[in-house]
Amino acid sequence: MTGETSRGGSVQETAGIQETADELRRSVASQFGRSLHIRTLDTGSCAACEQEIRLLAAPHYDLHRLGFFFTPAPRHADLLMVTGPMIRAFDIAARKTYEAMPGPKLVVATGACALGGVYPSDAFTHGGIGETLPVDVWIPGCPPSPLALLQGLLVAVDRLAGKVRDLSFMRDSLMPDGGHQ
Amino acid sequence: MTSLPLMYGAAAAWALTALAVVAGGASRPWIRACCAMSGLGGAAALAGGVSSLLSGDSRVVTAGGSVVVGSLQLQATSLAGVFVALLGLVAVATAAFVPRYHEPSRATGLYLAVYNLALLASLAVLAAGGVVTFLVAWETMALLCYLLILRRPRRDDVAGGAFWFLALSETGFVLIVAAFVILAAKTHSMQLDVIAARAHLVPGAWRDTAFLLALTGFGFKAGLVPLHVWLPAAHPVAPADGSAFLSGLIVKLGVYGIALFAFRLLPEGPAWRGILTMAAGAATAAIGILYALNERDIKRFLAYSTIENIGIIVTAFGAAMTFLAYGQRLLWAFLLLAGLYHVANHGSYKTLLFLEAGVVEHATGTRDMDRLGGLAHRMPRASVITFAGTLGIAALPPFNGFVSEWLIFQGLFQGFRTGSHLVAILIVLAAATLGLTGGLAIYAFVRGYGIPFLGMPRTRQAADASEAGQPVAGPALLAVACAALAVGAPVVLTALARAMRTVTGVALRPVLLPGNLTVIPAHTNFSGFSPTYLTVFLLAVLAVPALIYLAGRPRAGSVIVPVWDGGLVAFKPRMQYSAMTFSAPTRVTFDALYRPEVSVRRASDDPAGRSGPVHYESQASPVFDRYLYRPVICAVEWLADFVRPLQSGDVNLYLFYVFAAVIVAYLLGAL
Amino acid sequence: MPLWFLRGLRRGVVTTRYPARADGSATALPTPPAFRPDALTRELADRLAAVCPSRALARNASVLIFDVGACTACGRCREQAPGAVTASGEFELAATDRAHLVKRIPLLGDETARRSGPTAGQAPAGSQRGQA
Repeated sequence: MTGETSRGGSVQETAGIQETADELRRSVASQFGRSLHIRTLDTGSCAACEQEIRLLAAPHYDLHRLGFFFTPAPRHADLLMVTGPMIRAFDIAARKTYEAMPGPKLVVATGACALGGVYPSDAFTHGGIGETLPVDVWIPGCPPSPLALLQGLLVAVDRLAGKVRDLSFMRDSLMPDGGHQ
Repeated sequence: MTSLPLMYGAAAAWALTALAVVAGGASRPWIRACCAMSGLGGAAALAGGVSSLLSGDSRVVTAGGSVVVGSLQLQATSLAGVFVALLGLVAVATAAFVPRYHEPSRATGLYLAVYNLALLASLAVLAAGGVVTFLVAWETMALLCYLLILRRPRRDDVAGGAFWFLALSETGFVLIVAAFVILAAKTHSMQLDVIAARAHLVPGAWRDTAFLLALTGFGFKAGLVPLHVWLPAAHPVAPADGSAFLSGLIVKLGVYGIALFAFRLLPEGPAWRGILTMAAGAATAAIGILYALNERDIKRFLAYSTIENIGIIVTAFGAAMTFLAYGQRLLWAFLLLAGLYHVANHGSYKTLLFLEAGVVEHATGTRDMDRLGGLAHRMPRASVITFAGTLGIAALPPFNGFVSEWLIFQGLFQGFRTGSHLVAILIVLAAATLGLTGGLAIYAFVRGYGIPFLGMPRTRQAADASEAGQPVAGPALLAVACAALAVGAPVVLTALARAMRTVTGVALRPVLLPGNLTVIPAHTNFSGFSPTYLTVFLLAVLAVPALIYLAGRPRAGSVIVPVWDGGLVAFKPRMQYSAMTFSAPTRVTFDALYRPEVSVRRASDDPAGRSGPVHYESQASPVFDRYLYRPVICAVEWLADFVRPLQSGDVNLYLFYVFAAVIVAYLLGAL
Repeated sequence: MPLWFLRGLRRGVVTTRYPARADGSATALPTPPAFRPDALTRELADRLAAVCPSRALARNASVLIFDVGACTACGRCREQAPGAVTASGEFELAATDRAHLVKRIPLLGDETARRSGPTAGQAPAGSQRGQA
């Protein structure tokens, strides 16, 4: 494709830059897909998401077999897993945690609170982490089950493709189970 | 044979300085000139000490004298060589320190005169060749040091601290006099080397009594537990160079006294003397450092650390005496050498630390560690120099403290050579105690350096500290001396081994330093260590990664980001460790020793403490005060009350006393 | 030997093989709702939006905006209209773009809800005929 883009470069150049960026992203994701260190951040949640996150390290779900590890130190972390609606008192700490992580880094918003549900934006809370941190993957749920969390982490490192885009959340008029509501 | 003339030169310089500073007025250039002369005297003393190490005992010089008082007898001995050299070093360092530290005034002039006379008296103690000279010089030195401590008599606690110093010094003096009198009477001579030659003629019981009296008497000055209580009282209240002089030299005079009796006058003796000395030393070391960990005041902390190091030295001496009693002459000489090496090392770095404590006190106005912090940024030169001293005193390889402590440990570990199981176990126990002490010393000095110098300032005083106009040359010289004692360990060991040949008759050099760079602790099949190679190795180990980093780091440069502090909004200085919380684990572990007396006062009865402040106070029980000194003081006061009626003030009673004395004298004469 | 060791030997490996194989442990858990567009009238949509405690439902003209991300799977909307709203059974909901989680469900408009095909049970509660 040729032509001018709004920045003045050709579309071909932009496509080329985009290719490089994608390649970089794939290479980063492939690194992270083999070994990922996760730092969890609770910005005011009810701790239900934390309990599900804790279960990830338990024998049934065992995220270590996938190469994922929890670390308390943001300096050692690749991925920031954020729960809670980002209460305003936590702004500085969240920002500092994010900035303490060396790049490349990922942010995963976990749970309905972090995605904007449950708590509206008011004097005490932002009502979601979207305006404070740059989020790469959103995991809905209240709380998201460990399997949902695993899927979210694997989507973040490109080991799985996200499914939700193609889900319509609509049923046709026929009840699938033959009638019972 | 140049040692005595050099010491004469030093003495003359100091006497002249004392006169000049009193006579010449109190202007800054004049004081600087006088201090320069004092420093020259110090250099002469340093040279004299080193030369007497190398050239052996000089002849005894006798001057003047009378039948009643005795004569002035001087002798430069090898045993005193280390101490004289240390005296010279301390004198030079303080001479460089004083002009910038004390403000020029009449009081400063008097103080400097007293100080130089104290230097002179100390030199006389070390160069004394006879009993009377020793005792007169000792007492003069004690009185002059008392005046030194009283530099600022109207401040809090100064009078109390000086009084404790004097009282315990005099108590020790009584015992020292008794010890010397016993020896002089039994050997019919007042000259020290004659006493040494005839000591074997003195009956064993008298010899042991004299030794015990000397150990206790000199122990008061050296600071053996429980005779140490003047140290933490006097050091904080004396001026910085005064404290440095006290800790750097005066306690070493006590050590010299013990060494004099243990190695020169009464070397042969039963093993229990050595074991007792060793036990006293080990207990002193452990208790000293444990109390040091409980102190917030920098100078009290350093005073207790001095007690700890004196304990280490005395332990080495005690073990040496034990080895001699079992015929191990090599180890006897070796441990004496190790102890003397530690004397030199400790003198260097403790003087440095006290001088820097004075600098810190001047810059910030406080000695309390919990009010300081972050001084490394505000006072970089002082912090670097203090760090050099801290590395030495913490006995980290390859610095000088490590070399002497390694030697002492290696000597103690060879306790099995005595052949007696019990004695070997006791020696190993002493080594274990010293091991505990060494670990606690590192802990204490991480606290002692880290809390005031590192981190963030805890108060405005610390944040505004400035080292402009503070003395640097004196402490820097001592830091260089510490480095020289570390790097030049082979040279120092050669000189000390030469001195040991004179003192003990054992040729230690070939066994100690067979290859010039490796130190062997007296017996070849035990262990070995090379300070030189270790230094080179450590430098290489540090340099190689540094070079790799410098060569391979990313060209694009690095980003400087704030330290990860847990995401706090703002890190406040009160969130840091304080000196007392840092040492809290020791207080928990050694609760039985400290027996802290805790008082908690609440403003209200609310158990949650919601209303009003809570006042918490914790203090280690003053066990020595309560169980040793108070009873003695009470007994003395009771006795004084008992005999008071004799001094009723009634002239008639006094006339009766005269009459009774005449009658008694007549009867005695007649019988 | 503790009994748990023997029990563990008997039970075998309990670790899930997800993502290589599907894992059924999440099927019993609550999941976000799925909607039947032909049962949703505007009025029902407004009621559902009012009853959602998490602001996941909103009506925009003749579209029900369903924010999957804000949904807590509490089930109140399903309780409100059991015929129109069912559990979707979907729990693998991670998205790389927040917009992928916002679904648009077309509403019935002004037409009456038609019953087409065999439907058991009564009409959805509150469904009105011909009301907008």
